[in-house]
Amino acid sequence: MAYQKVYEVFARKSRGEPLRHIGNLNAPDDALAQVYAFDTYDEEKWFDMWVVDRSNFHEVFNRNDAGSGN
Amino acid sequence: MPGPETEVTSGPSAIALPGVRDLILVLADSKRLLGMRYAGWILGAPELEAGIACASMAQDEWGHGRLLYALLKEFGDDVDALEHGREAAQYRNVELLDREPAGWPELVAINVFVDGALSVQLDALRESSWAPARLRVAKMLDEERFHAAHGAAWFRRLARGGDSATEALARATDAALPIMLHWFGPDSEREQLLADEGVLDARASKLRARFVDRVSLLLSDVDRDAADVRLDFGAYDEVTRRSSGGGPDPRTIEQVRGDKNRTFLMD
Repeated sequence: MAYQKVYEVFARKSRGEPLRHIGNLNAPDDALAQVYAFDTYDEEKWFDMWVVDRSNFHEVFNRNDAGSGN
Repeated sequence: MPGPETEVTSGPSAIALPGVRDLILVLADSKRLLGMRYAGWILGAPELEAGIACASMAQDEWGHGRLLYALLKEFGDDVDALEHGREAAQYRNVELLDREPAGWPELVAINVFVDGALSVQLDALRESSWAPARLRVAKMLDEERFHAAHGAAWFRRLARGGDSATEALARATDAALPIMLHWFGPDSEREQLLADEGVLDARASKLRARFVDRVSLLLSDVDRDAADVRLDFGAYDEVTRRSSGGGPDPRTIEQVRGDKNRTFLMD
């Protein structure tokens, strides 16, 4: 079976509200990630929902890596 | 100002109504059984998320089935008897749903071809002159969008999955496609009446063409072409939309009627 990726799922309750991270899922590609996100997370009445392949997240900084502790 | 009670409604004529009733029962039985087939994969799907998708689709199909059975009250049907009291040969579900699919590629084929054909048929009722259907199909079709997306994504994934997955999917396609192409039926007087009276927005051959349009890209992924399937309506029954009698297998009948649960009804 195809290589699985982790997708992060975001949604918001109403137009104009910031996107909220609501969970993640495993899927082999964007198309199935969209379907799985709907089936898994549509329990609440969201205004819209988005999935992002986790590999498309690029870290800007991380205080721990810097070792400064703040 | 005219209220709803004074509104002139021009539904289908009395001679068209038996055809409407037959169609709704075909759809109701097919959706009920389709829901069962999805439910069979809630546990055991290739990945957890696919199991969740099957649970969601099963729930949708049962909802649609229940709604469609309820519409049959309009024709004086005893819905309880229809849901719980019929023998196998009286079911009108798509033949491919008579028994459990052998494996996941077969379930994906059902997702694409059976669910897809039912949606094409429902879509033809969107503007129906028969108001009870017109008022309900939009919501059903809205829920079907994600069924289609699930079917298409999995079909492509298996088609590109390499030897054994691709072969299994091609075999499942060869079993499903001819059944669904026949399911729409021949152009006949009976179905012409439904199109003429605006119950459906097109006749059988046109609906079949819409179905072919819908699945043709996927078919090319497994080197198949709907045009290669020879249509023969010699054994086709317009009332049940089946070319073979029999109906669902005994295990399916027991489950779909809820025989076990009936034991606990004590009224």
